[in-house]
Amino acid sequence: MNRRTLKILSVGFLVSILFAVSAFPTGDSVSSGITGSTTSIVDATEGCTCHTSDATPGVIIALNLPDNFTAGETYTLTLNFSGGPNDASEGDNRGGFFIRASHGILAPIENDTHVQKPSGESHLTHTTEGNDYREWNFTWTAPESDNIIVAFTTYGNSVNGDGNAGNEDRWNSATFNFRGVNAAAVVDVDHGELSTPQKLIYAFTIIAVTLSVVIIGNRMVTKEQSFEEVLKDYWKYLYPWLTTTDHKYIGILYIVTGFAWFFIAGILGLVIRWQLFEPRLDGDFLTYQEYNSTFTMHGTTMIFMAAMPIIFGFANYLIPLQIGCRDMAFPRLNAMSYWLLPTGGIVIYMGYFTGGAGDVGWTGYVPYATSEASTVPGTDFWVAGQIMLGASSTLTAINFVTTILRMRAPGVTLMRMPLFTWSIFVTVCLLLLAIPVFAIALILLLADRTFGTLYFSGSCAGDLMGTTACSDPILWQHLFWYFGHPEVYIVILPAFGVLSEIISTFSRRPIFGYTSMVYALTTIGVISFVVYGHHMFTTGADPLFRFVVMLTTMLVAVPTGIKIFNWLATMTGGSIVTKTPMIFALGTVITFTIGGITGIILASIPLDIAFHDTYFVVAHFHYVLVGGTIFAFLGGVYYWFPKMTGKMMNETLGLIHFAFSFIFFNAAFYPMHNVGISGMPRRYATYDPALTEMNQFISVAAFIFGFAQLIFVYNVIYSYKYGEEAGDDPWDGWSLEWTTSSPPPHNSFTEIPTLKSAEEAE
Amino acid sequence: MSLLEDIIFSDNPSIWHDFGGTSPGYAGITWQMMIWSIITGLLVFVWMAYNLIMFKHKEGDPEHNDGLKAGFFPHERGDPKIEITWTVAPLILVIWLTYISLAPLDYLWDVPDEDETDLVVEVVAGQWYWSFSYEDGYDVPANFNSCAEIGEINGLNCFEIPHDSIVRFNINALDVLHAFYIVEIGVKQDAVPGIETLAWVDTGDVSPGEYNIYCTEYCGNSHSQMLAKLYITVAE
Repeated sequence: MNRRTLKILSVGFLVSILFAVSAFPTGDSVSSGITGSTTSIVDATEGCTCHTSDATPGVIIALNLPDNFTAGETYTLTLNFSGGPNDASEGDNRGGFFIRASHGILAPIENDTHVQKPSGESHLTHTTEGNDYREWNFTWTAPESDNIIVAFTTYGNSVNGDGNAGNEDRWNSATFNFRGVNAAAVVDVDHGELSTPQKLIYAFTIIAVTLSVVIIGNRMVTKEQSFEEVLKDYWKYLYPWLTTTDHKYIGILYIVTGFAWFFIAGILGLVIRWQLFEPRLDGDFLTYQEYNSTFTMHGTTMIFMAAMPIIFGFANYLIPLQIGCRDMAFPRLNAMSYWLLPTGGIVIYMGYFTGGAGDVGWTGYVPYATSEASTVPGTDFWVAGQIMLGASSTLTAINFVTTILRMRAPGVTLMRMPLFTWSIFVTVCLLLLAIPVFAIALILLLADRTFGTLYFSGSCAGDLMGTTACSDPILWQHLFWYFGHPEVYIVILPAFGVLSEIISTFSRRPIFGYTSMVYALTTIGVISFVVYGHHMFTTGADPLFRFVVMLTTMLVAVPTGIKIFNWLATMTGGSIVTKTPMIFALGTVITFTIGGITGIILASIPLDIAFHDTYFVVAHFHYVLVGGTIFAFLGGVYYWFPKMTGKMMNETLGLIHFAFSFIFFNAAFYPMHNVGISGMPRRYATYDPALTEMNQFISVAAFIFGFAQLIFVYNVIYSYKYGEEAGDDPWDGWSLEWTTSSPPPHNSFTEIPTLKSAEEAE
Repeated sequence: MSLLEDIIFSDNPSIWHDFGGTSPGYAGITWQMMIWSIITGLLVFVWMAYNLIMFKHKEGDPEHNDGLKAGFFPHERGDPKIEITWTVAPLILVIWLTYISLAPLDYLWDVPDEDETDLVVEVVAGQWYWSFSYEDGYDVPANFNSCAEIGEINGLNCFEIPHDSIVRFNINALDVLHAFYIVEIGVKQDAVPGIETLAWVDTGDVSPGEYNIYCTEYCGNSHSQMLAKLYITVAE
């Protein structure tokens, strides 16, 4: 490409970007962008279903308070507001209010018909009679201690007097602090108590810093080196990892990063289980907002930063070896894809340091994700980080498609590729078609959140300026699930590949029905694009659309069934060696079968309507993603670790790891089906006390499952140091990665191999 | 019920008892799904166990003549007849399961028009409460005081509807997505801002009493607190 074409191209790009920017459908509903998080009135009372729009700064709320309060004393307080529509002194239906105190008791003044305290509640609000006023009096009795600061949360609703909650009504909220006489003189509220996640982060930071001091200090003492020398030593070790473009190094980086995020998100999962150990009140362990951030980060991290990197780590390491080439087609692009991963991940986690990580769930449904009720800027970080991860995956996909199509060694025809390579090939094709859609949807979401565009958020209901821009909140769900459903196949298909390799190798026979396995993989890939509607059975979408996706979803069971039957048929007539990788593979077949069966149950619309968004769904996808993907790839680690390091992994530790994982995985996730059938919705921070016993059982099992993974970490480190020598082909596999040395030489093969057919060997 | 029993005999929502008999196919589909799940699961587990017992590798087993060898693409192995069997059999099964899903689906989706119902309820979901109102001109029976008895207002996070009537819910949301879920009856419908969605119940199919309404679409901080009671009462 010469300079001139480049110039024209870049001008073209600029013009199209300018055009795109000018074509933004902007409006006034969120013209100020997203500002501090506000809360709607939780306990809205009769006649007060207003507050449909954003807070209006023009409504000014005042609460008269003495300088400070004394314990036990009762004070008469006055709340009034000004501003908003018809700011006149008299008339009907002019306003409403709401007040809640963090401590002490609020009460109406006796015989005052303007203020009421709904029974069972602690807040005050106006009565129907009281909504003709903009000023209200009531009493507040101070708590028994006066060494605290009491916060009053107030809302004022300025209405136009037409008797209907409508677009012209304005409201605002304000918080007032009231100091006890004995409260510490200067208390900066912003530097108050640390939230639980902050405490965890500080704890982990302290542990990490202490560990590095101990390790570096130990080295300085035992080797008698200066601090600089120790760092230089480490740098020498680190430098190749930071600058590598070798697919084997990048593969290991991916795998290690993936497992690191897997453990972080695993800890978040345990935090969730601790919150659900009993029905807790807000702030008992986590506040509800912290809980929401926790499950959002758990889901996002597990899918995008744990499962996918582990998969692409194995793919990076093994695909060039399995098809007999020296490296990926675009090694530098490969490195860039990798480095976008930790960077994007850190961006997503930035939310924790800025007052709360994203709390929109991994699905990020609008209009919640575009509303100011979601965490700011945590959710913006979540969106921005996701865009980076999307870019990373797209680049990876391009790289793999090119590599697999163009760089196969002699003899490796398409229909002679190992099934792991085939599964990755189908996966990256899905990725290439699905991820860009998600990335674009995220960019539109970011525009909605920061520039005030109305792709998803222009809901007529909440539109206060009278503009008629009504966008469809369901649009996001279509874009998300168009990506989101292939995404779940993106994480399960490679697991099928791993299982095919392991089961064939350890049965000492060729895979049964290689051709039908390949067709099954590609069929699943194609069908995955026409089933996404099954995530939206309850949205009120078109009945025909829902019926069609029910049928196509059911059809996925056919190729999946073929795969399971083929694995079992491979074992029949074989000579099954029960080493750790095989045990993990067989365990996966069992858990995945259960996950698949519940998938069919969920595909049936009448049942899905009952089960949708309950713990039954949570059980289903954990059976598929943990019982399928994670178990298969744990097996994959045991299987390919000898190739990657030249050392065998310890069998005894492996079997103990499997036993604990398998038993406590099922103990933790199987009862979730029952919890779901009993009606417990997912993403609930607290629940019906009748389900406490089951949830405690789940939590205990989940903790044991979590801690059992430490056996695996120990096994990896132990085997890396003390494992037996592996040799080139410890398991007697057939594919080309077993023909090179363990670990493979710098350029993967000393000379490019040729894949011969078994007939030629005879 | 003990924990173990709970795990074995899952605690079904009353939909399977009360609804099953009258709405076509509901009990049937649950039962069939259960049976086919067990058959499929057993097929896989038993076959795997059989393989592990019969074909376990023993020291000194001779290598099979199509055994694997590094660098050589193995012999093709397979049997088209068997493979077609286990393609067609699941295909028939899933078509059957889709077919039996149709009757209850038809029943669910056939939301009665407003003039065919005994009562139309306007449901409004907001962060984080449910508000309900009867259609204009509905004469609220005098004995509808269950909400007052528990200290709630009939219409805010609590509502009372007549037994033995066809009740249609017009569902709207004020701010973000919510979902209207009557737990024990198994009715679930998203509430979408700007779009009215519909659900309905024939209260003649369920027994009078107290039912729970949950929000099942994530809607922010107090999502798990967005609960309401629904009373189905015989009108006097």
